[in-house]
Formats: sequence, structure tokens, C-alpha cells
Amino acid sequence: MRYLKLYLHFLSFSFSKAFEFRVDFYFRIVMDCFFYLVQFLFFNIIYLHTPILADWSIEQMQIFIASYIFIDALHMTVFANNCWWLPIYINRGDLDYYLTKPVSSLFFLSFREFAANSFVNLLIATSLLGYILYQYPGDLGVIKVCVFILLLLIGTVLYFLVHLIFLLAVFWTQSPRGFGDVFFSISHTMERPDKLFKGIVRLIFVYILPFSLMASYPARYLLEDNGFQFIATIITMTIVFYFIVLSIWKVGLRNYSSASS
Amino acid sequence: MINFAWLRSIFTMELRQIITYRADFWVNFVGNASITFILAYFLWAGIFEANQAESMNGFTMKDIILYYLIVPQLMRIQQGSGIGNISREIYDGGLTKYLLYPVNYYVHKIIVYFAHTTFYILQLFLIIFLYWTFTGEEGVLQFSALQFFLFLLSLYFIALLYFSMSSISEFIAFWADNIWSLGVIIRFVVSFLGGALIPLTFFPQWAQAILYKTPFPYLITFPFDVLTKPLIIEKYFENLIIITFWTAIFMTMSYFVWNKGKYKYSGVGI
Repeated sequence: MRYLKLYLHFLSFSFSKAFEFRVDFYFRIVMDCFFYLVQFLFFNIIYLHTPILADWSIEQMQIFIASYIFIDALHMTVFANNCWWLPIYINRGDLDYYLTKPVSSLFFLSFREFAANSFVNLLIATSLLGYILYQYPGDLGVIKVCVFILLLLIGTVLYFLVHLIFLLAVFWTQSPRGFGDVFFSISHTMERPDKLFKGIVRLIFVYILPFSLMASYPARYLLEDNGFQFIATIITMTIVFYFIVLSIWKVGLRNYSSASS
Repeated sequence: MINFAWLRSIFTMELRQIITYRADFWVNFVGNASITFILAYFLWAGIFEANQAESMNGFTMKDIILYYLIVPQLMRIQQGSGIGNISREIYDGGLTKYLLYPVNYYVHKIIVYFAHTTFYILQLFLIIFLYWTFTGEEGVLQFSALQFFLFLLSLYFIALLYFSMSSISEFIAFWADNIWSLGVIIRFVVSFLGGALIPLTFFPQWAQAILYKTPFPYLITFPFDVLTKPLIIEKYFENLIIITFWTAIFMTMSYFVWNKGKYKYSGVGI
């Protein structure tokens, strides 16, 4: 309850801050709309040259595209700004202020900034997902759609946890961004159906850097039969990554010197 | 008269700053290059497999591999010092020193930009070297010394074109509070319409015809073709003239925005 109240304060503060910088507010909405447009155009051009990709038709691929767009929008809204600042605080030695708060420092740093401008994009992404699901020619079933959305939410949490692992490297590298740029590159893996990957690369993207789980597995649960294995894998991996992040955070804090770099 | 010692100092100082964080540099470089390649490889392997084709739109699988090794690096080369290289100084008041110093702000920024470009070019050499080492005669990359020199020259031209485009959005910072997203929009547009995501030959014919009337294909497809396709000198210089034309247009626009914007500058910073 205490954490919920705190989060509501974060929300109200973030909205007033977003409206202070109005031009940025609108630019960000346009930027994300461009991103969405490019994603659909990209796969539309590919489907001009092939009728099927990773066993999916273009209608099925559109569900997948809308899925990762939704995850990206949700991450941008809830976590992205916090992920931007976290390595900077650690690098500059500004973490002390948050360590002295009577709440979990990781919770505080993960949720303190809600990107109000991206919230508009989250609404757009959600509408897009809803529209594509509605337009889908096959019968998806209400319960399956509900579980699919729940899996997308879990996928977003997993995406955030993996992002944190890359950022927390800053405790040791002393650089201002950690491995944030590498994460940005690797995160594009989420934008490809998992069935495209073969052999050891597939194992890596499912179990070590689980980007293939985040949007592909929810989409496969929705579009294929026998979806229990998808639910089990994504939930298990999210729990595993949660504990990995907690451990790295604890070890990292022991390594934190408070001095800026 | 241009003081070259001053320009050289800025250039070398910027290069030194770029390589300050060595661990970051290697991890980012290896990570970015390999992941872009892996994603493209598996995507196109899937497309070729689904079509049971040896070649598609002038690309074999080997050509595709080379394309996605080189093109992401071309994107980095042209983007030089990246988003925020000018706008940050407008926000935090750092621009003031350039207004007081007896230096040309534009020249200073272009030199800094070229330092980043040069650094990414060195990374590209490393990629080409590794490609040759691993593929040997199996590879499809063959070029002459002249071709390589002209390729190198084209890289600085595309960097200047991208700089002139992005500087307009950077100077919007005189009016707007944060222009990072504007820079990202330019990046999206260039990478998609320039052919960084999908080679332009895969676009519909009508789209290609329109695109070649814009600056975007010259930023990516042109330098890639210079390096990998038989060199036609007349065509090369024709493309270079087109790049210069677009650069002049964007530079004029940028100068106009700068001239208007600098009177808005308070020097205080946000």
C-alpha cells in the first residue's frame, strides 16, 4: 500500500513535468508513431517477396508486430526514463540520496519517473493491438486473448529486468552508460519471431538473453495450440531474471564507492 | 586564413575523448556489430528458405551478409557525434564560450563530427578485415585501391550531408525544450528510406523511383555500391554532386535557423 501511494505521487509529478516541456511531449509522440509505421512497412515490404515467414502469414505477423510495439510502448512509459537515469546516478555518485530513503532503492529508482508523453503512445499501441486482433480473420477466443495480454505484461517486466542487467554493469565499468547501447542493439531481437533463430543462437535468445520470449511466445500462445509451455517458460524466466537482478544490485551496491567518475 | 593547428587540436582531442572508456568501446562495438549481423542473417535466411531461392532482387545470401556487415557501420559513420552534440550546449549554456572565442562554431562542430566519423571508419576497416579473414576467397568483396579511396571520400561526404540535416533539428533547441526525439525521427527516416533496414532493391519500383529524388539513398546505398559494385567514375561523381547539392540546401537551412536562433539564446541554460 505504501509503495502504491508512492507510485501515485510519482505519476502526478511526472505528468506535471511532462507538460512543462510541451514541444518534447509532442515530438516524442510523433517519434514513436514513426517507429510504429516503420515496423509495419518493414514487414510489409518483406511480405512482398515471401508469402510466409517463420511459419506466419502477414496477418499473424501483424499480431506479433503489434505485440512488440505494445511491449516497447509500455516499457517506454513506465521504465525507460528510469533506465536512462540509473547508470548516470551510479556513475556520478548520486545514488547516496536514494540509498538513504526508507523504501527499496531499486523500487524507487525503477519507478520514480513515469513518461507521461509515452503514455499517449501506449494508448496508440494498445489501440493498434486491439484493432489488429479484431481484424484477424481466425477465431482467437476471449480467454486466450486475455492470457495473451497478461503474457505481454510479463514480457514487458522481463524486458525491463534484462535492461537493468545491462545497465548495472556501470557499477564495474564506471562508464556513464553501462552497456546500454549494447542492450539497445540486442533488444531488436525481440522484433523478430523466435522461430527464425536456429541452433545455439535460438537457445541464447530464449534462455540467456530471453528477447525471443517477450513478444514471440505470447504471440505463439495466441496463434498456436498447446500453449502451456509458452506460459510456463516466460513466467519461469521472469522469476529467474528477477532474482538475478536483485543479486547483481546487492553485489553492485557493495562495489559502489559513492565517488563520481 | 585557416589555422590548421587549431583544427588538428580539436580533432585529436575529440578522438582521445572517444576512446576514454575502452571497455565500453569494445563491448559496444562488438555487441552492436555482431547482433545487427545475427538478426539480419537469420531474417534473410528465413526469407531465402521460404522462397527456395539462390538470389533475390540482385542479392545472394553472401551479398546480404556483406550488406548487413557494412551498412550498420555506414549509419554510425554518417551519424558522427550523434544526437545532442549541439542542442546540449544550447540547453546548458555551453554555447556561450563558442560565441566568445574567435572560432567559427560551424567549423568547430564539423571537425568534432569528423573525429567521430573517422573513428567509426576505423571500425569499418576492422569489420572489412575480419570479413576477409573469415571468408577468404569465398567472400564477395573485391575492390581496387582507387575504389577504396573513392569510397573513403564518399564517407566524409555522407557524414557532412547527415550533419547538415541533423544540425537543423539540433538548432531547433533554441526554441524547443528538448529535441532528442526529433533527432531520432531523422534517424528512423534515413535508416528506412536509405535502405539500412532493407536494401532498396526490395522496395516496389514506384517507391524506388521516388526515393532516388530524395537524399536518403545517397546516404547508405551509394557508399555501399561504391565499395561493392564495379566502379563507374562518371556515375560516382554524379552522385557526389547530388550529395553536395543536398548538403548545400540543408546547410543553408541550418545556417538560417542558427542565425534566427542565436538571438533567442539566453546563455543561462536550463
